[in-house]
Amino acid sequence: MANNPSQLLPSELIDRCIGSKIWVIMKGDKELVGTLRGFDVYVNMVLEDVTEYEITAEGRRITKLDQILLNGNNIAILFLASVILILAIIWLHAVGPWWFS
Amino acid sequence: MSGTEKAGSGTTKTPADFLKSIRGRPVVVKLNSGVDYRGILACLDGYMNIAMEQTEEYVNGQLKNKYGDAFIRGNNVLYISTSKRTLAEGA
Repeated sequence: MANNPSQLLPSELIDRCIGSKIWVIMKGDKELVGTLRGFDVYVNMVLEDVTEYEITAEGRRITKLDQILLNGNNIAILFLASVILILAIIWLHAVGPWWFS
Repeated sequence: MSGTEKAGSGTTKTPADFLKSIRGRPVVVKLNSGVDYRGILACLDGYMNIAMEQTEEYVNGQLKNKYGDAFIRGNNVLYISTSKRTLAEGA
């Protein structure tokens, strides 16, 4: 399996994202966007220039962070930045009222 | 460590590299519950168990408590952040 060039291991897919901006969706109402610097077998990740988005009772909270080690336990989905643009358009349609508030 | 190093990729920084680089530095530790702990990182291990000094506890951005030393069990940790700049929280 591993020597078949058309078979891509999950870790190889993440490896190709190193140096790129990625969108991490966590379990619960939390998302982070940042540049992936590295990761390990548990998919703990080092991210740089991070923006953290949380949905709280008071609305959306945005936090800027320089460099973080993100615990891999609660990571649900990873997107590459090239996909974010498309989804951002869809997302902006969905949350338009907030955007104009 | 996990064999994911890219040849010639000077920008790759694995979690183990990050852990080595932040010892003794000011950090922000965020737990899964959303509570932040800020202080000097004294010691930590691969499970993200953390010992901190001059620890301050923030809940929703408000300082709640101060502790001289604190131990945080790694399973609660969401992330560890270098706090080179202050957190800028939007409304």
